Order: sequence, then structure tokens, then C-alpha cells
Amino acid sequence: MALLENSFEENVLTTKVDWLINWARLSSIWPMTFGLACCAIEMMAVGAAHHDIDRFGAGAFRATPRQADLMIVAGTVNFKMGDRIKRLYDQMPSPKYVMAMGACATGGGPYYKYGYTVMKGVDRIVPVDVYIAGCPPRPEALLEGLMKLQEKIRNSSVVRKPARTA
Amino acid sequence: MDFQGINDRLLVLHAPGLLGADEPRPPDPADKKDKGRSGDPYVLVDPQQLVPFLEVCRDDERLRFELLVDLTATDPAVDDEQLWINVALLSVTHRHRLSIKCQLPKADPVLPSTTPVYRASQWHERECAEMFGITFAGHPDPRHMLLPDDWVGHPLRKDYEFPKEYHGISCE
Repeated sequence: MALLENSFEENVLTTKVDWLINWARLSSIWPMTFGLACCAIEMMAVGAAHHDIDRFGAGAFRATPRQADLMIVAGTVNFKMGDRIKRLYDQMPSPKYVMAMGACATGGGPYYKYGYTVMKGVDRIVPVDVYIAGCPPRPEALLEGLMKLQEKIRNSSVVRKPARTA
Repeated sequence: MDFQGINDRLLVLHAPGLLGADEPRPPDPADKKDKGRSGDPYVLVDPQQLVPFLEVCRDDERLRFELLVDLTATDPAVDDEQLWINVALLSVTHRHRLSIKCQLPKADPVLPSTTPVYRASQWHERECAEMFGITFAGHPDPRHMLLPDDWVGHPLRKDYEFPKEYHGISCE
């Protein structure tokens, strides 16, 4: 930095492209309005005033996948719904993220053994970034999951990593 | 009207298909193996006559069962050769209820659809059809109710085997 120090006028800010893009992405993660079971009630609580997910810039629940960055799979995924979830995920623009909220979306939950029509984890159809434990998870746990996702985005890079030489 | 009154009325009307009545009773003290029977009293009806029977229940002045509350089925055991159909009726006018049961052979479970009498039974019959493999002849909309259209098997049958995979997704 020494070379650049004091060499610009006022109102000029220098930063890294990665930092700027990641900051923009992680500060406005718009989730999709989409709930499948009781976990969705907790998700609504997170959206409401008391827990207020908007503090993290993720309060704009979009009613269409084409405007959403994040899919919170909040609830039991059965096979009939699985096809629809896959389609919704495909309709989201990149970069897109998926959170598996609660025991059902993570691995089938209480339906693991006798739920003949329940998918044993949504990660069988879409790539999951963050898993949140609980049945259902506390609103704080969902916020923690969101912060984990922000951390993940913060550590990503738009620049291709140099090819590793043997 | 209580169950006895309803049953007597059905007998007076010569309700088609009425096979008998069964009421709960306490265990017989003389027979130690006898456990008695709990639950509601019901009338047993021939499944092929169920539609005219329900028509009588609905239209008779003294019975007036306007509402079909429930229509479902039961599979008692793997080695049992019969399925049970359970129908629950309610009369708002007279404030009485009636439980109706039919026995259907598992080998060929075909039943005339009761939708001409009670349109409320449409969804109940669709669910019964997919869950137990019962065919409701003459049903106006015989699609699956809850399961995907291409689902194989009838999940509430006692001999149902869980699928290994669905659309290439493993179920284990």
C-alpha cells in the first residue's frame, strides 16, 4: 500500500474486487418464499419483528425463484414435492444457495424409517450449502445458519484459482 | 335416535343389503378368553348394495343422514382375506350418527362408487383407491389423491413393500 498511500484525492476508495462482490452478495441474500411444513412457521418467526432476519439483509422474501438467491428448504420433502423443488432450484439465477432447515430436509428426520414417500434428505436432488439441525430449529439457529452462509460467501472468490502444478 | 332406533328403522324399511348389526359389549365373565368389544356400534352391509343402502339412509324422513363424514378402509392383517370399508354418516336434522361397515374380498376389491349419493365421498374414494387398491366403479375422477401419478403399490396394505428407489433417487 505504501506506493498508493496519499496519492489520491478525497472520496476515492480502494478495495479488492473479491471483497466488494462478496460484500454485495452476502449483504442482500434474498430468500424464496417457500415453506413445506412446521419448519416454515419458525422461518416466518425469523422473518417477523422479534428475530428480524432483515438485520442481516435477508428479509426480502421473494415470491418467485427468479428473484431469489437462497432457497431455505423448510420442512419435509416428499418425492412428489422433490420434482418441484428441483425445478424451482433450476429456475433460480446463479449464484444460488440452499439451506436444509431441520431434521427432515437434512436426512428424512422422524420419517427416516417408515416414511415410504419422504425423501431422505434434500441433498439427494439439490446441492446444500448449510444444514441446520433441530426439529424444528429455533429461530436463532436459522440466523446462525444464515451467518454461516455469509461466512461461506465471504471466503469465496471470483478469481479462478491458479492451476496447481505437480 | 340412538343406534337401536336407527337399526329398527332400517329393518322396517327393508334397507337393501343390510346384513346385521354389531354392538359393543363387556367381556363375558364365564369365558376368560373373551375380551368383549369396544368402539361404536355399526351395521354390516353388503358392499354391492351399499349405494342403494346409503340412498335409503339419506332420503328417509326419520333417518335423514345429510352428511357423509368419512369413508375409509382397513386392512386388518396380511393373512386376512377381507378388507373393511368404513362409512360414517351424520344427520344434522336429527343429531344422530351411524357407522356402516362392509367386507370386501382382497383378491378382487371392487365397489360401486357412492358419489351419486354423496358427492363428498369423491376425495375419500380416491384416497382409498390409491392407499388400498380398491376400485370404485363409476368414480367420476379416478386419479391419485396424494401420491404421485406413477406410484407403484398401495401403501396402507399390510403386505406393502417399500420402494427401493423413485425416479432414480434412492429411498434408503
